[in-house]
Amino acid sequence: MTALFSISFRATLGAATLAFLLPAIAAAQETIVHGADEEPATLDPAEVEPGEGGESVIFHVYDRLLTVGAESSDLVPALATEIPSVENGLISEDGLTYTFPLRQGITFHDESPFTADDVKFSWDRVIALELPGSGYEILSERVAETRVVDDYTFEVTLNDVDASFLYSAVLSMTASIVSQEAVEAAGAEGDGESNGLLSDNMIGTGPYTFESWNRTENMTLRVNPSYWGTAAFDDVRLEFGLDPDVRVLGLRAGEFDTIETDPSYVADLEGADGVEIYAEGLLLEPLHIGFNMNVPEGALPEGDTIPEDFFKDVRIRQAFNHAFDYTAFVQGALAGFGEINPHYVPIGVFGYDPNAPVYGEQNLAEAERLFREAGVWDEGFTATVVVESGSLFEIQCLILKDSIEAMNPDMRINVLGVAEAVFDEAIASETVNYAMWAKNGDPAADPIDYLMTYAHPDGEWGEIHGFRDAYVNPDQIANLIDQIAVELDRDTRAGLVGEVQSLLYADPMWIIGAQEGAVTAYRDDIENMVLQPLWPRPSINFAILDKTGG
Amino acid sequence: MQIRDYIIRRLLILPLLIIGVSIVVFALTRIGGSPIGVYLSHEMNASEVAALEERFHLNEPLVVQYWYWAKGALSGDFGYSGVAAAPVSEVFWGKFAATMELSVFSALIAVWLGLKLGVFAGKRRNKWQDHLTRIVAVSGASLPLFWFGIVLLIVFWANLGWFPVGRSDADIWDSIAHPTGFYTLDGLLAGSIPAFLDALWHLVLPSITLGFGAVAIITRMMRSALVEELQQDYVDAARAKGLPERLVLNRHAKRNALVPTVTVIGLTIAFLMQGAIAAEIIFRWPGLGRWMADAVVRGDQATIMTYVLFTSVLFLFANLIVDIVYAKLDPRVRLGD
Amino acid sequence: MAISDNAIPMSARQVRLRRWTEIFRSLMTNPTTALGMIIIFLLLAMAIFAPWLSTPNTPDAYQMPRDWGATRMPPGTPNHPLGTTNQGGDVLYGVIWGSRTSLQMSLIVVSVTVVIGVAIGSIAGIVGGWIDETLMRIVDIFLSIPELIFALAVAAILGPSFTNIILSLCIVFWVKYARIMRAQIILIRQADYVQAARVMGDSRLNIFLRDILPNASTPIAVQATLDMGNIVLVGATLSFIGLSESGIAEWGVLVSEGQAGIASGRWWASTFPGLMIFLWALAFNLVGDGLRDALDPRTEGR
Repeated sequence: MTALFSISFRATLGAATLAFLLPAIAAAQETIVHGADEEPATLDPAEVEPGEGGESVIFHVYDRLLTVGAESSDLVPALATEIPSVENGLISEDGLTYTFPLRQGITFHDESPFTADDVKFSWDRVIALELPGSGYEILSERVAETRVVDDYTFEVTLNDVDASFLYSAVLSMTASIVSQEAVEAAGAEGDGESNGLLSDNMIGTGPYTFESWNRTENMTLRVNPSYWGTAAFDDVRLEFGLDPDVRVLGLRAGEFDTIETDPSYVADLEGADGVEIYAEGLLLEPLHIGFNMNVPEGALPEGDTIPEDFFKDVRIRQAFNHAFDYTAFVQGALAGFGEINPHYVPIGVFGYDPNAPVYGEQNLAEAERLFREAGVWDEGFTATVVVESGSLFEIQCLILKDSIEAMNPDMRINVLGVAEAVFDEAIASETVNYAMWAKNGDPAADPIDYLMTYAHPDGEWGEIHGFRDAYVNPDQIANLIDQIAVELDRDTRAGLVGEVQSLLYADPMWIIGAQEGAVTAYRDDIENMVLQPLWPRPSINFAILDKTGG
Repeated sequence: MQIRDYIIRRLLILPLLIIGVSIVVFALTRIGGSPIGVYLSHEMNASEVAALEERFHLNEPLVVQYWYWAKGALSGDFGYSGVAAAPVSEVFWGKFAATMELSVFSALIAVWLGLKLGVFAGKRRNKWQDHLTRIVAVSGASLPLFWFGIVLLIVFWANLGWFPVGRSDADIWDSIAHPTGFYTLDGLLAGSIPAFLDALWHLVLPSITLGFGAVAIITRMMRSALVEELQQDYVDAARAKGLPERLVLNRHAKRNALVPTVTVIGLTIAFLMQGAIAAEIIFRWPGLGRWMADAVVRGDQATIMTYVLFTSVLFLFANLIVDIVYAKLDPRVRLGD
Repeated sequence: MAISDNAIPMSARQVRLRRWTEIFRSLMTNPTTALGMIIIFLLLAMAIFAPWLSTPNTPDAYQMPRDWGATRMPPGTPNHPLGTTNQGGDVLYGVIWGSRTSLQMSLIVVSVTVVIGVAIGSIAGIVGGWIDETLMRIVDIFLSIPELIFALAVAAILGPSFTNIILSLCIVFWVKYARIMRAQIILIRQADYVQAARVMGDSRLNIFLRDILPNASTPIAVQATLDMGNIVLVGATLSFIGLSESGIAEWGVLVSEGQAGIASGRWWASTFPGLMIFLWALAFNLVGDGLRDALDPRTEGR
């Protein structure tokens, strides 16, 4: 009898304990299923291409010295404990040396300890390997030397004074900190070739550990219970290779908790059962169509009747900007989630000047006048714009097409929609064989990134598209942007940015349809949803999301 | 000629046809793509690229290039798939198993429904049931599979939620081993009913989509074969003898009609192979069809080449077997061209 | 066909004309085939009278008209009886002008492939020898590759565009006609009356035109009818997979672009164009089947 009692007592106790723990167990076992757009090509920070799918995974499994929080674009310490500035002395007087005090007592996912050696190793590796397609230039162009002062102090010396170093380089996924021990154990690296370990393995310090990757199918990340910061709530599974509509369908059906989507789909999800919409703020990725004045002789697609240097004429570029139907794009295609901001300094970025002139409204009369003046009105023209098919950018191209063709039936725009991989290849080369292409800009928190990449006559696109020969006054723009790069005083800097905005209005190298709204849809059993455009697409931090399993 | 000579003749021609197809496939890649595109992967550096050019003699005349490509293929090197981010040979069999499993179940549906409908119609020649069946059968052959799949998806997945998409539930998949690559079989072998049922449940919608299309082929053949059988003398004789209609039908006519029906296997396989492309896209089935669709849109030459080659070889073998069977039945065929 | 004692011997042409009339009659009495004929008639009417049924878009009638202020409207909206697409395109417009696109696609491809196929088959059959062997091997090789897959590969190589889809279909679909033609030539060449004609000095060309071509026309007509339907089906599949252009009034493209709405209950943008593809293929298949049954000596008279 006694034995029975004690057995049943123990059983009851056990059951009670289990019942007590069950919610915790159940909670820990929740997996947030995310319908992703792009499958990562690689998980190696030294290899990943800025803007591609792998960056989000890197964001969750690796840490960087600094990060940004959900609320604002202000920097937040991560593996470094303090943000270097001139005031706290962690930026040297000449502006060239940054000192980062590091957090102590952190271990990597393989249990090796985190020290300044790992930081130096991670950054040196990126710079030395120079892997094609990666973001190595983010570091190699700025960094002159990296130094380990002691186990928990790391120092960087730059080539030049750089006002954007912290935002553009330290925050980037390329500057993620990997485990030196793990990588060195896997073999030698050098000669432009990594040892391949990090391409599909991840040993970081982040809130998630990398568990598995079924190519073209899905990837699983597990909560890191010994994370140095606030632990994540739930595991994550990323599902790949889904069409946008399948993702939406899956969200409605409860198969996905979060999805990567764009505003045109979100409008439909309003009011759907079990689905919530998050719509706050704007993404920092202007939707643009670029003018290429540097097309090699005879390289334009068949059917184009324009000369290779068609867009050198500033009147034509202005006319295109006037002709575009911005309202239709924001209201129709973006379903109202977005704002017209035809400017290369996005709203929300430091220095954005709301008073600077913009092409905010379609002005067909002005466009016609400019086309006539440029002498192309009577004969008309046919030009091709290349774009990823089935994307929001394609819609932007169709709107351009309709806008131009409605004016004058002899003016034709061919929208060439191609697969993503084909598009990437088309615009990745030294010269682009199309007069126009459409996509969005890469997000950044510092205006200089936008200006250098998309506006400077000798910048990335400046060189490829031939800005220098096309700007009416290239030196004026170049000098202004160069000043912005080094001006450390915030107010002066803001003024300069406003000034360059006005110059770019008169001499536009892009049609910027709109700035997309930061909007997403998710299941209502997910708490704490927030989008931060400075986090890699999908701009979500899964570590702060809590799936309540309701 | 004798059946044996016929078989031998066909067998001799087969490799020539395969070589012919390989030449066409090779020509396609030379016309459209870069010769090295088949083998290139993003991870290669300059010296590896040069080594590739060396190995496949890409700087030499086309004929030489073909020779080395064919040699490579015969040794299992079909190039590198950008879509799968792996050598074609590595991922091929996994995807093949997926498509195979789908095709088998679709074929089961097609055969079951096709035979039933064929008999139903054949018995009632030229009556309204016959005409209705013909319309249903031809409908299957006229259906845009991608559209049919979408409709089923909306109704049964989005609205009713009865069936899932994809091939399996991730957690259930993790719980058992997969020796055969056929998830239903794997489930049975592992003694896991949940795994078996999960695989089966995922098969329902895509199999119906694909199978319904193939019904037409089988129905049409069974119907006309049955009609022809029922006109044979022995049927009249059996009826005159007083044998019940049911017996005449089931024991003799149907069975005899089955024989020529077997010959549409070739057509059915061709249909399933081609239909699988659309079905796999819609239902997220990780098989060869979806791989090919991705490859086509992304310019993944290695996959396109391998897929065309593979399906053609399969098609050739299927037709060969069918023709041999047919020749055995109908002597006229052997004499002809 | 009874021949009375007073019958006037009919010329070969009259015989053929009567044959075709009979075929047509037997087609119309078969209910399924009749249904197909009616649907074809309606579709052709829709395609031919498109500009009157639905005002053409400017500057290019084959571009779907986009109205960003009226996107995603359901069927029954004023001005848009079948609703609008995600881009504000009128679905009815797409349905009507898509029939024109499909007609163009199928007519062009069938015409080109018949001409090429007949030409090659004739050369093979008449000239004979190693030319015959080579050409027929090529035909065999082409026939070894399943049609859709072949067309898919060729279109992929050529690049995404409507024209390239047509081109690709032309490259793939000529082979059956070559084989039919050649078989006909060999068959008829052996007939007694043809041998007699040759002995009497009739030229090969004459025989070809007078005896062979007309006889070959029947199996070719069957194949062409079936192909009219199948080509649109295959073409739509290629478009759906992504090898065509966006924004054009083509049924396959419309189904593909309409998918985005399905998740949110907007079924009409994909359903109606998809239905049209189905009806088109169904109609030509029914008629083609009927034609084949009517012409097949084994089933003739059933």
